[in-house]
Amino acid sequence: MKPLTPFIHSVWIAENDLRQSFKSVRHVVWSLLFPIFMMFTFSFRYGISGPDIQYVRDILIPGIVAMTAMFGSINETMSIVWDKSLGVFDRILAAPVSSTSIIVGKTMAGAVMGVISALVLLVIGSSLFGVTWSNIIAILVIILLASFSFTGIGTIISGLASEPREAMMLSNLLRFPMMFLGGVFFPIQEMPMPLPYVARALPLTYATEALSSIQTGGSSIIFLDSIVLLAYTIGTILFGSQILMRIMTR
Amino acid sequence: MDNAIEVRGLTKFFGSLLAVDHVNFEVKGKEIFGLLGPNGAGKTTTIRMICGMLRPTGGTAVIAGFDVFQKPQEVKRRIGLVPDISNLFGELSARVNLEFMGKLYGLDKKTRRERIDQVLELFQLKERQNDLVRYYSKGMHRRLTIAAALIHQPEILVMDEPTSGLDAQTARLVREIIINLNKEGRTILLTTHQIDEADRLAQRVGIIDRGHLIALNTPEQLKNNIQGTRALEIKILNGVDQRRWIPIIKEAEDVDNVFLAEGKIRILSKDLSQIIPNVVTLVDKHGGKIENISVAQPTLEDAFISLTGKSIREEPLSKEEDVRRRMSRSGLR
Repeated sequence: MKPLTPFIHSVWIAENDLRQSFKSVRHVVWSLLFPIFMMFTFSFRYGISGPDIQYVRDILIPGIVAMTAMFGSINETMSIVWDKSLGVFDRILAAPVSSTSIIVGKTMAGAVMGVISALVLLVIGSSLFGVTWSNIIAILVIILLASFSFTGIGTIISGLASEPREAMMLSNLLRFPMMFLGGVFFPIQEMPMPLPYVARALPLTYATEALSSIQTGGSSIIFLDSIVLLAYTIGTILFGSQILMRIMTR
Repeated sequence: MDNAIEVRGLTKFFGSLLAVDHVNFEVKGKEIFGLLGPNGAGKTTTIRMICGMLRPTGGTAVIAGFDVFQKPQEVKRRIGLVPDISNLFGELSARVNLEFMGKLYGLDKKTRRERIDQVLELFQLKERQNDLVRYYSKGMHRRLTIAAALIHQPEILVMDEPTSGLDAQTARLVREIIINLNKEGRTILLTTHQIDEADRLAQRVGIIDRGHLIALNTPEQLKNNIQGTRALEIKILNGVDQRRWIPIIKEAEDVDNVFLAEGKIRILSKDLSQIIPNVVTLVDKHGGKIENISVAQPTLEDAFISLTGKSIREEPLSKEEDVRRRMSRSGLR
């Protein structure tokens, strides 16, 4: 076996996963309609003209982009649960592929989905509300880090859930509070105690904050946010793969 | 020829439930070996362990000379698994499905293309190769599942209930495929809960019940082993449900077993000369008339019933068997 083989296996597993997701166009459209809908609803709520548009440009759009990465990544990673329930996971397990390759492949698919979904919303949001981004490299780095950390959460859900319905419930349990407490729709500064502390425990908060800071000209907070997101990524992926490893080697 | 598969003391607990209990058997190179048993007997659990997908609680399995628990990758490379449900990617076409399997088994692009064309041709799926698999019929699903297991040309093919749930015609086709694959020199381990299938396909049969392997021999020998036992078939007149007579006939002296087979009441006994008058009197006493009575050759089903004390079909799962069945499928399903 060549040294690169395990990694190539991962790439193929990721490719196969994404191929299925993009094959069903409905799936992609539906998953993107939700953030687009939220973007419109809340832009009207905060105002799309005059000085109010600043909030939309500075916080709402960056937040929506981060949130879309979250939905994209977690949804994609949850394909593990579907694969298990349909038996197609067995197909991969029966093949000469290491468990690590499977986990790395699934993680890559989740992250790629997160980045792609976020970029679509970035383009739509920016063009509709006239947001101009100064540092596209920094944005890509943050979106990538955020996507990986959300993928980690997705792997934990996939490992814990025994069937798709359970996975949906678990993911909603995590996604919805995160969405509303992650500083996307309501500024953390305006939240009553102890919600700001809760917000600080969520990766979405850091992703929103970082993207928002890039949009408003950048500050040292971006670096700190990246560190937190990186820590989140490592933590959740390690924990998630541990659980997945256990069910794969029962 | 060396043994293709050697299973020694294979044991699996799911929690406190003993699903497979110290199972020993070997599959010789190039033979068709059938693992016969009712649903929930531990067949799927056994083959999942052999294929390196489930870790046993105890025992070993050596496949093509490799211990599956020490060298799972080597074993997986040499085995093609056909699971009991067709587990293909429904959102992808047949060709893309096979393409993916070829990649996982490390085939290069040229080999992949050749092999895919070859199996699509062999299983008559070429015309529909670019259709999404979810639009396939059950029979096409089954054929594609077998095709996918052959893409890396494994020396050993493991098939879990290869014909279950198929219509008679497709089942026959699948059986032909199995025989041909065996003729090409492939070792085949299959599980089934259909006695006639084991009888027709397998060169040797292992009977598994409640996690135990209770007999292992050629179908002929299994039948011969109960040679002392004779079978009597009767049909009782008046179109009344024949099943109603089973508990009544069971009461007769010297009757070992009574069950329904193809609309007739089949009675197993060591002493037919005694049994015939007994049964006739008993049926008469209960107001029945015997329409037809004949002595039959022992079948594999008779052997199965003599060994396990129960019929393989028409019996609802006991609670324990149901749990056993679900345990072996859960977790990864």
